[in-house]
Amino acid sequence: MSQLPGQVAMVGGMMRIRGLIVAAALSVVMLSGCASVPADPEGTLDRVRDGVLRVGVTEHEPWVQLQGGEEPTGTEPELIVEFAGQLGAEIAWTTGSEAALMESLERGELDVVLGGFLADTPWSDRGAATRPYAETQSGDETRQHVMLVRMGENGFQLALERFLHEETGL
Amino acid sequence: MSARFGRTELPGQQEKALRSAIRIEWWTIAFLAVAITMVYLVMGSSQAMKAAWIEDMLSLAPPFAFLLAVRLVNKRPNAKYPYGYHRSVGVAHLVAGVALFTMGAFLTFDSASGLISAEHPPIGGVVLFGQTIWLGWLMMAAMALTIPLPIWFGRVKMRLAKELHDKVLYADADMNKADWMTAAGSIVGVAGIGLGLWWADSAAALFIAVSILWDGCKNMKASITDLMDTRATTFDDGRPHPVTEKVDDLLRGLPWVKEVGSRTRDQGHVFHIESFIVPRPGMMPSLEELAEARDACIDLDWKVQDIVLVPIEELPEEVGGPDRNRQSERNR
Repeated sequence: MSQLPGQVAMVGGMMRIRGLIVAAALSVVMLSGCASVPADPEGTLDRVRDGVLRVGVTEHEPWVQLQGGEEPTGTEPELIVEFAGQLGAEIAWTTGSEAALMESLERGELDVVLGGFLADTPWSDRGAATRPYAETQSGDETRQHVMLVRMGENGFQLALERFLHEETGL
Repeated sequence: MSARFGRTELPGQQEKALRSAIRIEWWTIAFLAVAITMVYLVMGSSQAMKAAWIEDMLSLAPPFAFLLAVRLVNKRPNAKYPYGYHRSVGVAHLVAGVALFTMGAFLTFDSASGLISAEHPPIGGVVLFGQTIWLGWLMMAAMALTIPLPIWFGRVKMRLAKELHDKVLYADADMNKADWMTAAGSIVGVAGIGLGLWWADSAAALFIAVSILWDGCKNMKASITDLMDTRATTFDDGRPHPVTEKVDDLLRGLPWVKEVGSRTRDQGHVFHIESFIVPRPGMMPSLEELAEARDACIDLDWKVQDIVLVPIEELPEEVGGPDRNRQSERNR
Protein backbone atom coordinates (compact mmCIF):
# COMPACT_ATOMS: atom_id res chain seq x y z
CA MET A 1 0.00 0.00 0.00
CA SER A 2 1.27 3.45 -0.84
CA GLN A 3 1.92 5.77 2.07
CA LEU A 4 -0.72 8.39 2.76
CA PRO A 5 0.31 11.97 3.51
CA GLY A 6 -1.19 11.57 6.97
CA GLN A 7 1.11 8.67 7.70
CA VAL A 8 4.13 10.63 6.60
CA ALA A 9 3.17 13.44 8.97
CA MET A 10 2.67 10.86 11.71
CA VAL A 11 6.16 9.42 11.25
CA GLY A 12 7.63 12.95 11.41
CA GLY A 13 5.73 13.59 14.62
CA MET A 14 6.96 10.31 16.09
CA MET A 15 10.59 11.29 15.59
CA ARG A 16 10.06 14.65 17.25
CA ILE A 17 8.27 13.01 20.15
CA ARG A 18 10.87 10.28 20.51
CA GLY A 19 13.47 13.05 20.78
CA LEU A 20 11.43 14.67 23.49
CA ILE A 21 11.17 11.46 25.49
CA VAL A 22 14.90 10.91 25.20
CA ALA A 23 15.41 14.48 26.45
CA ALA A 24 13.09 13.81 29.37
CA ALA A 25 14.85 10.56 30.27
CA LEU A 26 18.28 12.18 29.92
CA SER A 27 17.39 15.08 32.18
CA VAL A 28 16.15 12.67 34.86
CA VAL A 29 19.37 10.66 34.62
CA MET A 30 21.45 13.85 34.78
CA LEU A 31 19.40 14.95 37.76
CA SER A 32 19.88 11.80 39.76
CA GLY A 33 23.64 12.21 39.24
CA CYS A 34 23.57 15.60 40.93
CA ALA A 35 24.05 15.74 44.68
CA SER A 36 22.08 18.93 45.25
CA VAL A 37 18.68 18.39 43.71
CA PRO A 38 16.64 20.50 43.95
CA ALA A 39 19.08 23.39 43.55
CA ASP A 40 18.30 27.01 44.47
CA PRO A 41 18.20 29.44 41.54
CA GLU A 42 19.63 32.14 43.87
CA GLY A 43 21.86 29.76 45.86
CA THR A 44 20.23 30.44 49.27
CA LEU A 45 21.19 27.15 50.94
CA ASP A 46 24.86 27.39 49.91
CA ARG A 47 25.07 30.97 51.15
CA VAL A 48 23.38 30.21 54.49
CA ARG A 49 25.56 27.19 55.26
CA ASP A 50 28.35 28.46 57.55
CA GLY A 51 27.08 31.96 56.77
CA VAL A 52 24.12 34.09 57.81
CA LEU A 53 20.44 33.13 57.87
CA ARG A 54 18.29 36.24 57.43
CA VAL A 55 15.05 35.82 59.35
CA GLY A 56 12.08 38.21 59.35
CA VAL A 57 9.83 38.14 62.43
CA THR A 58 6.50 39.73 63.12
CA GLU A 59 4.77 39.46 66.48
CA HIS A 60 2.16 36.71 66.81
CA GLU A 61 1.93 35.04 70.21
CA PRO A 62 2.67 32.33 71.12
CA TRP A 63 4.47 31.61 67.85
CA VAL A 64 6.64 34.70 67.80
CA GLN A 65 7.21 36.99 70.82
CA LEU A 66 9.22 40.18 70.60
CA GLN A 67 10.63 42.12 73.57
CA GLY A 68 12.49 45.31 72.82
CA GLY A 69 16.24 44.79 72.57
CA GLU A 70 16.17 41.03 73.12
CA GLU A 71 16.25 38.15 70.67
CA PRO A 72 12.80 36.99 69.51
CA THR A 73 11.31 34.09 71.44
CA GLY A 74 8.38 31.72 70.87
CA THR A 75 8.09 28.34 69.18
CA GLU A 76 9.05 29.51 65.72
CA PRO A 77 12.24 31.44 66.59
CA GLU A 78 13.31 28.49 68.77
CA LEU A 79 12.91 26.11 65.81
CA ILE A 80 14.77 28.41 63.43
CA VAL A 81 17.66 28.90 65.89
CA GLU A 82 18.02 25.12 66.02
CA PHE A 83 17.88 24.92 62.21
CA ALA A 84 20.54 27.63 61.84
CA GLY A 85 22.70 25.77 64.35
CA GLN A 86 22.56 22.62 62.21
CA LEU A 87 23.70 24.62 59.19
CA GLY A 88 26.40 26.39 61.21
CA ALA A 89 24.78 29.73 60.44
CA GLU A 90 24.43 32.97 62.38
CA ILE A 91 20.99 34.57 62.45
CA ALA A 92 20.30 38.16 61.39
CA TRP A 93 16.86 39.13 62.77
CA THR A 94 14.66 41.72 61.09
CA THR A 95 11.39 42.87 62.66
CA GLY A 96 8.55 44.54 60.83
CA SER A 97 4.96 44.30 59.68
CA GLU A 98 3.83 41.30 57.64
CA ALA A 99 3.58 43.47 54.50
CA ALA A 100 7.08 44.96 54.93
CA LEU A 101 8.65 41.55 55.63
CA MET A 102 6.94 39.89 52.66
CA GLU A 103 8.20 42.63 50.39
CA SER A 104 11.74 42.07 51.63
CA LEU A 105 11.34 38.29 51.20
CA GLU A 106 10.22 38.79 47.61
CA ARG A 107 13.20 41.06 46.91
CA GLY A 108 15.57 38.44 48.33
CA GLU A 109 16.60 40.48 51.39
CA LEU A 110 15.26 37.79 53.73
CA ASP A 111 15.46 33.99 53.59
CA VAL A 112 12.53 33.08 55.83
CA VAL A 113 9.67 34.93 57.53
CA LEU A 114 8.08 33.83 60.82
CA GLY A 115 4.80 35.08 62.24
CA GLY A 116 2.42 32.23 63.03
CA PHE A 117 1.36 31.95 59.38
CA LEU A 118 -1.24 29.36 58.35
CA ALA A 119 -1.11 27.06 55.33
CA ASP A 120 -3.89 29.03 53.61
CA THR A 121 -2.03 32.32 54.08
CA PRO A 122 -3.03 35.17 51.75
CA TRP A 123 0.70 35.86 51.24
CA SER A 124 1.13 32.68 49.17
CA ASP A 125 1.82 34.65 45.99
CA ARG A 126 4.76 36.44 47.61
CA GLY A 127 6.41 33.63 49.52
CA ALA A 128 6.38 29.84 49.49
CA ALA A 129 4.76 28.12 52.47
CA THR A 130 6.63 25.17 53.95
CA ARG A 131 4.87 21.92 54.78
CA PRO A 132 2.79 22.40 57.94
CA TYR A 133 4.99 21.76 60.97
CA ALA A 134 2.26 22.10 63.62
CA GLU A 135 -1.49 21.78 63.88
CA THR A 136 -3.81 23.52 66.30
CA GLN A 137 -7.51 23.21 66.84
CA SER A 138 -9.72 26.28 66.65
CA GLY A 139 -13.33 25.29 67.10
CA ASP A 140 -14.10 22.84 64.31
CA GLU A 141 -11.24 23.75 62.02
CA THR A 142 -7.71 22.43 62.12
CA ARG A 143 -5.13 25.17 61.62
CA GLN A 144 -1.91 24.20 59.92
CA HIS A 145 1.09 26.32 60.79
CA VAL A 146 3.80 27.10 58.25
CA MET A 147 6.85 29.30 57.73
CA LEU A 148 7.34 31.33 54.58
CA VAL A 149 10.49 31.09 52.48
CA ARG A 150 11.62 32.85 49.32
CA MET A 151 9.81 31.67 46.19
CA GLY A 152 11.59 29.03 44.13
CA GLU A 153 14.53 28.47 46.52
CA ASN A 154 13.55 24.82 46.54
CA GLY A 155 16.78 23.41 47.95
CA PHE A 156 16.57 25.70 50.96
CA GLN A 157 12.84 25.06 51.36
CA LEU A 158 13.34 21.28 51.28
CA ALA A 159 16.18 21.50 53.83
CA LEU A 160 13.94 23.49 56.20
CA GLU A 161 11.02 21.12 55.64
CA ARG A 162 13.23 18.12 56.33
CA PHE A 163 14.40 19.74 59.56
CA LEU A 164 10.86 20.63 60.66
CA HIS A 165 9.64 17.12 59.97
CA GLU A 166 12.44 15.62 62.05
CA GLU A 167 11.82 18.10 64.89
CA THR A 168 8.04 17.96 65.07
CA GLY A 169 7.28 14.61 63.44
CA LEU A 170 4.42 16.14 61.46
CA MET B 1 -26.34 -2.14 19.97
CA SER B 2 -26.74 -3.12 16.34
CA ALA B 3 -23.85 -1.71 14.39
CA ARG B 4 -25.16 0.82 11.95
CA PHE B 5 -24.64 4.41 10.95
CA GLY B 6 -28.14 5.73 10.30
CA ARG B 7 -29.62 3.66 7.50
CA THR B 8 -26.29 2.05 6.68
CA GLU B 9 -25.68 -1.46 7.96
CA LEU B 10 -21.97 -1.73 8.61
CA PRO B 11 -19.99 -4.41 6.76
CA GLY B 12 -18.37 -7.03 9.02
CA GLN B 13 -14.93 -5.43 9.08
CA GLN B 14 -16.23 -1.98 10.00
CA GLU B 15 -18.57 -3.45 12.58
CA LYS B 16 -15.58 -5.07 14.28
CA ALA B 17 -13.63 -1.82 14.06
CA LEU B 18 -16.53 0.08 15.62
CA ARG B 19 -16.70 -2.32 18.55
CA SER B 20 -12.93 -2.05 19.08
CA ALA B 21 -13.17 1.73 18.91
CA ILE B 22 -15.92 1.85 21.53
CA ARG B 23 -13.93 -0.47 23.78
CA ILE B 24 -10.70 1.49 23.46
CA GLU B 25 -12.49 4.78 24.13
CA TRP B 26 -13.82 3.38 27.41
CA TRP B 27 -10.31 2.26 28.29
CA THR B 28 -9.04 5.74 27.45
CA ILE B 29 -11.58 7.30 29.80
CA ALA B 30 -10.59 4.89 32.58
CA PHE B 31 -6.91 5.64 32.02
CA LEU B 32 -7.49 9.40 31.99
CA ALA B 33 -9.51 9.25 35.21
CA VAL B 34 -6.54 7.58 36.93
CA ALA B 35 -3.99 9.91 35.31
CA ILE B 36 -5.97 13.07 36.21
CA THR B 37 -6.25 12.01 39.85
CA MET B 38 -2.59 11.04 40.06
CA VAL B 39 -1.29 14.24 38.47
CA TYR B 40 -3.61 16.37 40.61
CA LEU B 41 -2.18 14.82 43.78
CA VAL B 42 1.41 15.75 42.92
CA MET B 43 0.76 18.91 40.89
CA GLY B 44 2.02 21.42 43.48
CA SER B 45 2.78 24.82 42.00
CA SER B 46 4.47 23.71 38.81
CA GLN B 47 3.10 25.55 35.81
CA ALA B 48 4.04 22.72 33.45
CA MET B 49 2.27 20.16 35.64
CA LYS B 50 -0.83 22.35 35.68
CA ALA B 51 -0.76 22.58 31.89
CA ALA B 52 -0.34 18.82 31.61
CA TRP B 53 -3.20 18.27 34.04
CA ILE B 54 -5.56 20.51 32.08
CA GLU B 55 -4.47 18.76 28.90
CA ASP B 56 -5.45 15.43 30.45
CA MET B 57 -8.85 16.80 31.44
CA LEU B 58 -9.44 18.11 27.93
CA SER B 59 -8.44 14.75 26.50
CA LEU B 60 -11.65 13.43 28.03
CA ALA B 61 -13.73 15.43 25.55
CA PRO B 62 -12.99 13.49 22.34
CA PRO B 63 -13.70 10.02 23.84
CA PHE B 64 -17.01 11.22 25.28
CA ALA B 65 -17.86 13.02 22.04
CA PHE B 66 -17.13 9.84 20.11
CA LEU B 67 -19.19 7.60 22.39
CA LEU B 68 -22.11 10.03 22.33
CA ALA B 69 -21.90 10.45 18.57
CA VAL B 70 -21.90 6.70 17.81
CA ARG B 71 -25.03 6.42 19.93
CA LEU B 72 -26.76 9.24 18.07
CA VAL B 73 -25.80 8.24 14.53
CA ASN B 74 -27.24 4.84 15.32
CA LYS B 75 -30.71 6.36 14.84
CA ARG B 76 -32.35 6.19 11.45
CA PRO B 77 -33.31 9.31 9.52
CA ASN B 78 -36.88 10.39 10.24
CA ALA B 79 -39.34 13.11 9.27
CA LYS B 80 -37.80 15.61 11.70
CA TYR B 81 -34.18 14.74 10.83
CA PRO B 82 -34.48 13.78 7.15
CA TYR B 83 -30.69 13.64 6.65
CA GLY B 84 -30.18 11.44 9.71
CA TYR B 85 -28.04 12.18 12.75
CA HIS B 86 -24.63 11.91 11.12
CA ARG B 87 -23.79 15.56 11.64
CA SER B 88 -23.62 14.97 15.40
CA VAL B 89 -20.10 13.76 14.67
CA GLY B 90 -19.25 17.10 13.10
CA VAL B 91 -20.77 19.00 16.01
CA ALA B 92 -18.84 16.89 18.53
CA HIS B 93 -15.67 17.54 16.55
CA LEU B 94 -16.29 21.30 16.62
CA VAL B 95 -16.96 21.33 20.35
CA ALA B 96 -13.74 19.40 21.03
CA GLY B 97 -11.81 21.76 18.74
CA VAL B 98 -13.11 24.92 20.43
CA ALA B 99 -12.38 23.50 23.89
CA LEU B 100 -8.80 22.74 22.86
CA PHE B 101 -8.33 26.15 21.30
CA THR B 102 -9.69 28.09 24.29
CA MET B 103 -7.62 26.15 26.79
CA GLY B 104 -4.51 26.45 24.64
CA ALA B 105 -4.95 30.22 24.39
CA PHE B 106 -5.48 30.56 28.14
CA LEU B 107 -2.45 28.42 29.02
CA THR B 108 -0.23 30.20 26.51
CA PHE B 109 -1.10 33.54 28.10
CA ASP B 110 -0.69 32.12 31.62
CA SER B 111 2.73 30.58 31.11
CA ALA B 112 4.03 33.44 28.98
CA SER B 113 3.14 35.94 31.71
CA GLY B 114 4.80 33.64 34.27
CA LEU B 115 7.94 33.70 32.17
CA ILE B 116 7.87 37.47 31.66
CA SER B 117 7.30 38.32 35.32
CA ALA B 118 10.04 35.79 36.23
CA GLU B 119 7.92 33.76 38.64
CA HIS B 120 10.07 31.28 40.56
CA PRO B 121 7.93 28.18 41.09
CA PRO B 122 8.29 26.74 44.61
CA ILE B 123 8.34 22.95 44.83
CA GLY B 124 8.91 21.67 48.33
CA GLY B 125 8.90 18.27 49.97
CA VAL B 126 6.38 15.64 50.95
CA VAL B 127 6.64 13.04 53.66
CA LEU B 128 6.45 9.49 52.33
CA PHE B 129 7.01 6.57 54.73
CA GLY B 130 8.59 8.91 57.26
CA GLN B 131 11.05 10.36 54.74
CA THR B 132 10.89 13.91 53.44
CA ILE B 133 11.45 13.69 49.71
CA TRP B 134 11.32 16.33 47.01
CA LEU B 135 7.87 16.55 45.38
CA GLY B 136 9.58 17.04 42.02
CA TRP B 137 10.60 13.37 41.98
CA LEU B 138 6.97 12.32 42.44
CA MET B 139 5.88 14.71 39.68
CA MET B 140 8.36 13.23 37.25
CA ALA B 141 7.41 9.68 38.21
CA ALA B 142 3.69 10.41 37.79
CA MET B 143 4.21 11.98 34.39
CA ALA B 144 6.46 9.11 33.27
CA LEU B 145 3.64 6.68 34.14
CA THR B 146 1.26 8.55 31.84
CA ILE B 147 3.51 8.19 28.77
CA PRO B 148 3.30 4.56 27.52
CA LEU B 149 -0.49 3.99 27.30
CA PRO B 150 -1.38 7.06 25.18
CA ILE B 151 1.27 5.95 22.66
CA TRP B 152 -0.55 2.67 22.24
CA PHE B 153 -4.04 4.26 22.32
CA GLY B 154 -3.00 6.73 19.64
CA ARG B 155 -1.72 4.06 17.28
CA VAL B 156 -4.77 1.82 17.60
CA LYS B 157 -7.18 4.73 17.20
CA MET B 158 -5.39 6.00 14.11
CA ARG B 159 -5.94 2.62 12.45
CA LEU B 160 -9.60 2.46 13.52
CA ALA B 161 -10.25 6.05 12.44
CA LYS B 162 -9.14 5.14 8.94
CA GLU B 163 -11.29 2.01 8.91
CA LEU B 164 -14.40 3.83 10.11
CA HIS B 165 -13.78 7.16 8.38
CA ASP B 166 -14.26 8.85 11.74
CA LYS B 167 -12.70 12.26 12.25
CA VAL B 168 -13.51 12.49 15.96
CA LEU B 169 -11.56 9.30 16.47
CA TYR B 170 -8.76 10.77 14.36
CA ALA B 171 -8.76 13.96 16.47
CA ASP B 172 -8.63 11.77 19.56
CA ALA B 173 -5.66 9.81 18.25
CA ASP B 174 -3.97 13.14 17.62
CA MET B 175 -4.82 14.22 21.14
CA ASN B 176 -3.20 11.09 22.59
CA LYS B 177 -0.01 12.06 20.80
CA ALA B 178 -0.24 15.52 22.36
CA ASP B 179 -0.76 13.82 25.74
CA TRP B 180 2.52 12.01 25.88
CA MET B 181 4.37 14.90 24.34
CA THR B 182 2.99 17.00 27.19
CA ALA B 183 4.03 14.45 29.78
CA ALA B 184 7.59 14.33 28.44
CA GLY B 185 7.67 18.13 28.27
CA SER B 186 6.62 18.57 31.88
CA ILE B 187 9.27 16.07 33.02
CA VAL B 188 11.88 18.28 31.35
CA GLY B 189 10.35 21.34 33.05
CA VAL B 190 10.39 19.85 36.55
CA ALA B 191 13.90 18.47 36.01
CA GLY B 192 14.93 22.01 35.07
CA ILE B 193 13.59 23.34 38.37
CA GLY B 194 15.56 20.61 40.12
CA LEU B 195 18.71 21.99 38.53
CA GLY B 196 17.86 25.47 39.76
CA LEU B 197 16.61 26.79 36.42
CA TRP B 198 13.47 28.64 37.47
CA TRP B 199 12.47 29.41 33.87
CA ALA B 200 12.49 25.76 32.74
CA ASP B 201 9.03 25.10 34.14
CA SER B 202 7.33 28.08 32.51
CA ALA B 203 9.18 27.41 29.27
CA ALA B 204 7.99 23.79 29.22
CA ALA B 205 4.45 24.97 30.06
CA LEU B 206 4.59 27.45 27.18
CA PHE B 207 5.71 24.71 24.82
CA ILE B 208 2.83 22.48 25.96
CA ALA B 209 0.32 25.33 25.73
CA VAL B 210 1.34 26.19 22.18
CA SER B 211 0.96 22.54 21.16
CA ILE B 212 -2.56 22.49 22.67
CA LEU B 213 -3.37 25.72 20.84
CA TRP B 214 -2.11 24.25 17.59
CA ASP B 215 -4.22 21.10 18.08
CA GLY B 216 -7.23 23.32 18.70
CA CYS B 217 -6.65 25.34 15.52
CA LYS B 218 -6.24 22.20 13.42
CA ASN B 219 -9.37 20.53 14.77
CA MET B 220 -11.47 23.69 14.67
CA LYS B 221 -10.52 24.29 11.05
CA ALA B 222 -11.22 20.68 10.06
CA SER B 223 -14.61 20.59 11.77
CA ILE B 224 -15.74 23.98 10.47
CA THR B 225 -14.82 23.12 6.90
CA ASP B 226 -16.68 19.81 7.24
CA LEU B 227 -19.78 21.58 8.54
CA MET B 228 -19.42 23.99 5.59
CA ASP B 229 -19.77 20.96 3.29
CA THR B 230 -16.31 21.16 1.89
CA ARG B 231 -15.61 18.38 -0.60
CA ALA B 232 -15.26 15.02 1.10
CA THR B 233 -11.71 14.16 2.14
CA THR B 234 -9.99 11.15 3.63
CA PHE B 235 -10.22 10.68 7.42
CA ASP B 236 -7.08 12.73 8.03
CA ASP B 237 -8.09 15.56 5.63
CA GLY B 238 -5.00 14.58 3.63
CA ARG B 239 -6.58 14.43 0.17
CA PRO B 240 -9.96 14.35 -1.61
CA HIS B 241 -11.80 11.13 -0.87
CA PRO B 242 -11.53 8.70 -3.82
CA VAL B 243 -15.18 7.62 -3.62
CA THR B 244 -16.46 10.63 -5.61
CA GLU B 245 -14.29 9.72 -8.54
CA LYS B 246 -15.28 6.06 -8.28
CA VAL B 247 -18.96 7.01 -8.50
CA ASP B 248 -18.28 9.25 -11.50
CA ASP B 249 -16.31 6.50 -13.26
CA LEU B 250 -19.04 3.94 -12.66
CA LEU B 251 -21.80 6.19 -14.00
CA ARG B 252 -19.72 7.32 -16.95
CA GLY B 253 -19.42 3.66 -17.96
CA LEU B 254 -23.19 3.27 -18.38
CA PRO B 255 -24.43 3.23 -22.01
CA TRP B 256 -26.99 6.03 -21.55
CA VAL B 257 -24.66 8.46 -19.80
CA LYS B 258 -22.95 11.25 -21.73
CA GLU B 259 -21.48 13.40 -18.97
CA VAL B 260 -21.46 13.10 -15.18
CA GLY B 261 -20.33 15.18 -12.20
CA SER B 262 -20.93 14.61 -8.48
CA ARG B 263 -21.01 16.63 -5.30
CA THR B 264 -20.11 14.71 -2.13
CA ARG B 265 -20.84 15.85 1.39
CA ASP B 266 -19.14 14.22 4.33
CA GLN B 267 -21.90 13.70 6.89
CA GLY B 268 -19.58 12.34 9.55
CA HIS B 269 -19.12 8.70 8.72
CA VAL B 270 -21.15 8.38 5.55
CA PHE B 271 -21.44 10.47 2.43
CA HIS B 272 -24.40 12.12 0.80
CA ILE B 273 -23.82 12.31 -2.93
CA GLU B 274 -25.62 14.21 -5.65
CA SER B 275 -24.65 12.99 -9.10
CA PHE B 276 -25.65 15.17 -12.04
CA ILE B 277 -25.99 13.16 -15.24
CA VAL B 278 -26.39 14.40 -18.78
CA PRO B 279 -28.00 11.51 -20.75
CA ARG B 280 -27.03 10.81 -24.35
CA PRO B 281 -29.45 12.37 -26.84
CA GLY B 282 -32.60 10.27 -27.14
CA MET B 283 -31.50 7.89 -24.36
CA MET B 284 -33.38 9.31 -21.37
CA PRO B 285 -33.05 6.54 -18.71
CA SER B 286 -36.09 4.66 -17.45
CA LEU B 287 -36.81 4.44 -13.72
CA GLU B 288 -35.42 0.91 -13.72
CA GLU B 289 -32.15 2.05 -15.28
CA LEU B 290 -31.84 4.85 -12.71
CA ALA B 291 -32.53 2.46 -9.83
CA GLU B 292 -29.93 0.02 -11.14
CA ALA B 293 -27.33 2.79 -11.44
CA ARG B 294 -28.12 3.95 -7.89
CA ASP B 295 -27.74 0.45 -6.44
CA ALA B 296 -24.45 -0.04 -8.25
CA CYS B 297 -23.13 3.17 -6.68
CA ILE B 298 -24.23 2.11 -3.19
CA ASP B 299 -22.43 -1.21 -3.68
CA LEU B 300 -19.17 0.65 -4.36
CA ASP B 301 -18.47 1.61 -0.75
CA TRP B 302 -20.33 1.33 2.55
CA LYS B 303 -19.96 5.09 3.02
CA VAL B 304 -22.19 5.77 -0.01
CA GLN B 305 -25.40 5.79 1.95
CA ASP B 306 -27.55 8.41 0.37
CA ILE B 307 -27.11 9.06 -3.32
CA VAL B 308 -29.34 11.17 -5.54
CA LEU B 309 -29.10 10.84 -9.34
CA VAL B 310 -30.16 13.98 -11.17
CA PRO B 311 -30.68 13.76 -14.95
CA ILE B 312 -30.03 17.24 -16.32
CA GLU B 313 -29.43 18.89 -19.70
CA GLU B 314 -26.08 20.48 -18.77
CA LEU B 315 -23.68 19.93 -15.86
CA PRO B 316 -23.54 22.63 -13.14
CA GLU B 317 -20.30 24.58 -13.13
CA GLU B 318 -19.17 23.23 -9.70
CA VAL B 319 -18.95 19.67 -10.93
CA GLY B 320 -17.22 20.31 -14.22
CA GLY B 321 -19.89 22.02 -16.33
CA PRO B 322 -19.13 25.02 -18.61
CA ASP B 323 -17.90 28.14 -16.85
CA ARG B 324 -20.70 30.68 -16.83
CA ASN B 325 -21.52 33.74 -14.79
CA ARG B 326 -25.06 33.26 -13.66
CA GLN B 327 -27.08 34.16 -10.60
CA SER B 328 -29.00 30.91 -10.28
CA GLU B 329 -29.77 27.70 -12.11
CA ARG B 330 -32.65 29.39 -13.92
CA ASN B 331 -31.02 32.64 -15.05
CA ARG B 332 -28.99 31.22 -17.83
